[in-house]
Amino acid sequence: MRAITEAPMAVIRELNLGSWSMPAKALAVIVVVLLSATLAVSPDLFIQNLIGGVAYGMVLAIIALGLALILGLLGVVNFAHGGLFMLGAYGAYEVVALQGFSFWMALLVVPVAVGALGVTMEVTILRRLYGGTPIIGLLATFGVFVMIEEATRAKWGGTPLTFEIPASLQGSVPIGVGQIATIRLATVFVATLVIVGTYLLMYRTDFGLTIRAGLQDREMAEFIGIDIPTRFTVVFFLGSAIAGLAGVLRGAETGMDLSMGFEFVLLAFVIVIVGGVGSIFGSVVSGLLIGISVFVAPVAVRSLATVTGVDALDVAGIGGVVPYIVMLVVLLIRPRGLFGEEGLLE
Amino acid sequence: MSYLSRFERMNGIVNAEWIRTLRAPVGIVLVALLTRPVLGNEFVLGSPHIATTILIWMLFAASFNLLFGYVGLLSFGHAMFLGTGVYVTAIGLSEFGLPFSLMTLLAVVVSSALAYVIGRIIVRYGEIYFAMLTLAFAMGVHFVVNANPYDLTGGSDGIRSGTTPEWISSFRGRRLIDVGWVDGLFASVGLEPSYYWFVALVFAATMLLLWQIVRSPFGRTLVAIRDNEELARAMGISVDRYKVWTLTMSAGFSAVAGALLMINNYGASLRNFGPQTSAEVLLMTIFGGVHFFFGPVVGAFSWFGIREYLQTFEVLSLPLVGAFEAGTVLSYWRFFFGFAFVLVIVLAPSRGLWGLVRGYAADAIAAVRRRFADE
Repeated sequence: MRAITEAPMAVIRELNLGSWSMPAKALAVIVVVLLSATLAVSPDLFIQNLIGGVAYGMVLAIIALGLALILGLLGVVNFAHGGLFMLGAYGAYEVVALQGFSFWMALLVVPVAVGALGVTMEVTILRRLYGGTPIIGLLATFGVFVMIEEATRAKWGGTPLTFEIPASLQGSVPIGVGQIATIRLATVFVATLVIVGTYLLMYRTDFGLTIRAGLQDREMAEFIGIDIPTRFTVVFFLGSAIAGLAGVLRGAETGMDLSMGFEFVLLAFVIVIVGGVGSIFGSVVSGLLIGISVFVAPVAVRSLATVTGVDALDVAGIGGVVPYIVMLVVLLIRPRGLFGEEGLLE
Repeated sequence: MSYLSRFERMNGIVNAEWIRTLRAPVGIVLVALLTRPVLGNEFVLGSPHIATTILIWMLFAASFNLLFGYVGLLSFGHAMFLGTGVYVTAIGLSEFGLPFSLMTLLAVVVSSALAYVIGRIIVRYGEIYFAMLTLAFAMGVHFVVNANPYDLTGGSDGIRSGTTPEWISSFRGRRLIDVGWVDGLFASVGLEPSYYWFVALVFAATMLLLWQIVRSPFGRTLVAIRDNEELARAMGISVDRYKVWTLTMSAGFSAVAGALLMINNYGASLRNFGPQTSAEVLLMTIFGGVHFFFGPVVGAFSWFGIREYLQTFEVLSLPLVGAFEAGTVLSYWRFFFGFAFVLVIVLAPSRGLWGLVRGYAADAIAAVRRRFADE
């Protein structure tokens, strides 16, 4: 219970509002005013989109979580993460629609398979690149991403696909102001499990302790008998498997197509950078932040147009560019991201 | 004097100063002159139609490499500068009927100004942040173009009509230059006045300018910054200013490539601004080799060469394995390119394909020299 009350306090403490510059404070005030106005003009729409944004944000958060694990711990900017995410979605299609197994089976098997692929990549390619500049890791994994994308096109074709989800997930659940699809609730549930699990693993077990030790001082950790390469491989497996799981969930909700890998890996990078490199907590928070702002921003500009009577303010399709605006603003105000450690990747 | 050994004579020719100075300019002119005839050759590809596109992409990749290869800044949104070149010329021609040359100039100015502003904002962050922030700006510009402000950009349809300048005429899918005295000039040397030769001329001129930039004190300073930024800063070089101006120049050259591409593609499409275009130029530049002036040229050539070459195969016959239907496999040529790219990154990240070729050539020359020295 204490943790629940402590988390928001920690956020506020960490953000250290007192140290913000004048433009940043002004911007924060504008955002708050805009959101209040939106809530006043169209409360139902606002709350529905808020909830939709949370569900979307949870998927974003676990994709970014896998990326942040690998980036924060191994120092590799893993562009192939988007490819692994895409493989998760297509893998679920293969298992459910083509092989005829149940969705629950896909939810278990696909992440493991994707994780295994990630490990193969780590052992064959990335091990040679540890300790180099991050750019080289980014480029090598970018090449792998191109390969995965093309292999996916070869195997499953270029047309968007969907698969049938089980009947128990098809309906929707009424919540005060409207309905929310069951699959979205399930997504939020699974994503929460993953986030809590990762947190417990990294900060409440000896395994997590040794990983963090290896990150602080690799040589010393190896001196006291920790097998660092194996542990890094395990972390890579976890990160990739989480990407695969996110892919399965996203594929179940909206189907899959070839552009999803590129789109989501870019979003995941944005989230990691907004949240701050090296902070697992930060990537979860900023995943939610960006998920929500993608959903709420269109409603906000529409309300703004209604209130002011200026139609030009209602910009269509603003949702797609919102993550990048958020990243720009955050980085200009706070170059290390919301919760990042100073000095990483700079 | 006449008792020089064969080795010394050989050495004298190889190390002559004039070869060093003229190597790159001659190379540039040769690339401009030979790309089309070589690709048109039946033993290579048999189709010259891709040559214009290749030259334009070579120019784009070279201007990208001015930024990445020479100062070490990885831009993930370089398509926005190419796209600016494409769209400014297309809008000028189709909406206002202005001449192409004026619009190209304007495109260079707009693109450079955009790059200068962006550079001033983001250049002080680290390299990964630079990559992500250029991407952010590129997505922003992409969004604005897609939103079709004042009905100028045509949204997702792009600009298709009225984009060909009056001095270009199309004849059976080929574009010819339609200026009286040019016709006569070309006829007198037995060439058709194809659009390719116009591109080749612009290509050679801009590449020579680029070459002049990278071998100037400015360009050498960029290499110093790339190799050791701390040291460069300690020496009193204002690193951030150099980076901003490099980004600005790179954007200007990209806009020239964009203007040429606009005519080549019969107009502007939203794809010119898309992240895929940025990714492609990145792939081909690094595949070719970023630390060499000709790296991106080789990269662009291999990218399009591999694409065209592999796509023409239907049946591949290999010794011992026998013939098999390769058409379906080779249509996924990007997979093989990705594989080769990963190999290049793992084996020789900053040298690329051109670096490997040059390495082998240097070994071969050294071996020949040893032979002469032994005698």
